[in-house]
Amino acid sequence: MKRWIAILAVIAIAAVLPLLLSPTGYWIRVLTFTLLFAAMAQVWNIIGGLANQTSLGHAAFFGIGAYTSTILVLKFGISPWIGMFAGGFLGGIAALIIAVPTMRLQGHYFALATLAFGEVMRVIANVWTSLTGGPVGLSVPFVPPSIAAYSFKQLLPHAYIALIALIIVTVIFEAIRRSAMGYRLRAIKENPAAAEVIGIDTTKVKLQTAVISGVLMAMLGTLYAQVAVFFDPDTVFSAASISIRVALIAILGGVGTAIGPILGALFIIPVEELMNDLFSSGAAGLSQLIFGVILIAVILWRPRGFITVFDSLMARFSNKARS
Amino acid sequence: MTILDVRGISRRFGGLQALSDVTFSVPKGQIVGLIGPNGAGKTTFFSTLVGLIRPDSGSIQLDGTSVVGQKPHKIAALGMTKTFQNVALFAESSVLDNVLTAGLLRHDVETARKEALICLDRVGLKSVAHKLAGNLSFPERARVELARALCTGPKVLLLDEVMAALNPVEMQEIMDLIRSLRDDGITLLVVEHHMRAIMTICDRILVLNFGRLLADGTPEQVANDPVVVEAYLGRSMEAHK
Ligand SMILES: Nc1ncnc2c1ncn2[C@@H]1O[C@H](COP(=O)(O)OP(=O)(O)OP(=O)(O)O)[C@@H](O)[C@H]1O
Ligand SMILES: [Mg+2]
Repeated sequence: MKRWIAILAVIAIAAVLPLLLSPTGYWIRVLTFTLLFAAMAQVWNIIGGLANQTSLGHAAFFGIGAYTSTILVLKFGISPWIGMFAGGFLGGIAALIIAVPTMRLQGHYFALATLAFGEVMRVIANVWTSLTGGPVGLSVPFVPPSIAAYSFKQLLPHAYIALIALIIVTVIFEAIRRSAMGYRLRAIKENPAAAEVIGIDTTKVKLQTAVISGVLMAMLGTLYAQVAVFFDPDTVFSAASISIRVALIAILGGVGTAIGPILGALFIIPVEELMNDLFSSGAAGLSQLIFGVILIAVILWRPRGFITVFDSLMARFSNKARS
Repeated sequence: MTILDVRGISRRFGGLQALSDVTFSVPKGQIVGLIGPNGAGKTTFFSTLVGLIRPDSGSIQLDGTSVVGQKPHKIAALGMTKTFQNVALFAESSVLDNVLTAGLLRHDVETARKEALICLDRVGLKSVAHKLAGNLSFPERARVELARALCTGPKVLLLDEVMAALNPVEMQEIMDLIRSLRDDGITLLVVEHHMRAIMTICDRILVLNFGRLLADGTPEQVANDPVVVEAYLGRSMEAHK
């Protein structure tokens, strides 16, 4: 009961927050991307946290989603809402294609194989100019603003769409975690041989997880394309600013927990923006350097993620409430 | 009625013939002991039965279905599973979750939880249901192994040294449990080094030596078989005195 009140309160605050920011301002943009990256990290958390398979190739699905909906709207005038599901479908197929050969790989080898897959997708998008426009990138065409056309004059609706997406993927994550599939994933993570012997189809469960994560990541790619309006292969298929960043957000926040990716995104995205703002006039790369130092400090301070700070705050809070 | 039929199972590891031409069949509801010196191939044989190891040749029929080449999860669904001698629990999960996960083979989460509590009660570990499996003592973990295997609802249950390091009282409890499982209609294959326990509960004993089946008979027959005494019992009886 108390838990639900807390969750509703957080959602209410998140729902009011965009209204307090200037609709044309800079911070609404930061907020939108924070929510979007939190959702992406949550989707990564399904495979990275629940199945314990550290994917460094999620940009592959993200880019597929961004390109699919944008190409459909450009070439056929199909609404991005529908394009989002088409992208999700292709993202799922891509996830299946990469999951089948990499499934047996563990730890670093899985990470490297998925990283390579993301890079291959980036190269393909750069080379297949007739479809993707190549390195020049694509612009989402302007259409008269309407909800059906997923076109808005301001960023405010995008912030709300990102918020709703975050809520949906968080609910999906938590539902999987508590379901039979969640138990099976924990068993596979802790002892794959024993999991098989007690009747878990480890191959099937891993494939299901990879596909769910791939579908959702691709759908979020459409959300990104609609906010960003312009993108190129090196942005949406980026290893550093998509694949590694979403993994980093989830790991820094607390991998395998529903709150972790949200805490991670609330920290990383605004701090990164702030560093860019404060130090962009300095020497080239200074802001990245400072951001990197902050990350290292945070990881040393909380090796198991921000979730541990959150947990101890909650513990203190409930102790106070009791006394 | 034959529930398990094993014919000519052989398996090589490099230069080592771990199993050679093992053949026997088990009628439903028997308690069969599998004994033999260290390295005889008992664990390897169990792993072959549940599909973790593929035999080089031979056939295995579980209740009329051929299981050679099937994946372990398929064999578990058909009704055969085993415990791990070296204990392979989900260490970061609670004892209850360990057992519950096995129950998911045939039930939804809520029913599996109820089944898991029943299984834990049967092995006498209900009181530690919410502890982390990794925090239990070794004998306790072996019993969680048993509860977990049991919760898959097996027809044939393979127990690999679940009584290791138990005190006499606990050992008696596990022996009573094994008998009550047989009364429930489960067929059991039991690997154990403790001779008195195995001689007491088993209807029949198989002796494995260097991967080869040396003897197959009632406890009395096996205990009085000069070949067996020579290969194993003589030594092990002395060791247990
Ligand atoms: N995966 C493997 N690769 C190579 N050799 C193996 C493998 N598994 C088992 N062996 C070898 O096969 C032989 C049989 O081992 P196994 O564990 O089946 O014996 P055991 O009868 O269970 O012994 P114990 O009573 O000590 O448990 C041993 O010599 C062992 O070293
Ligand atoms: Mg053994």
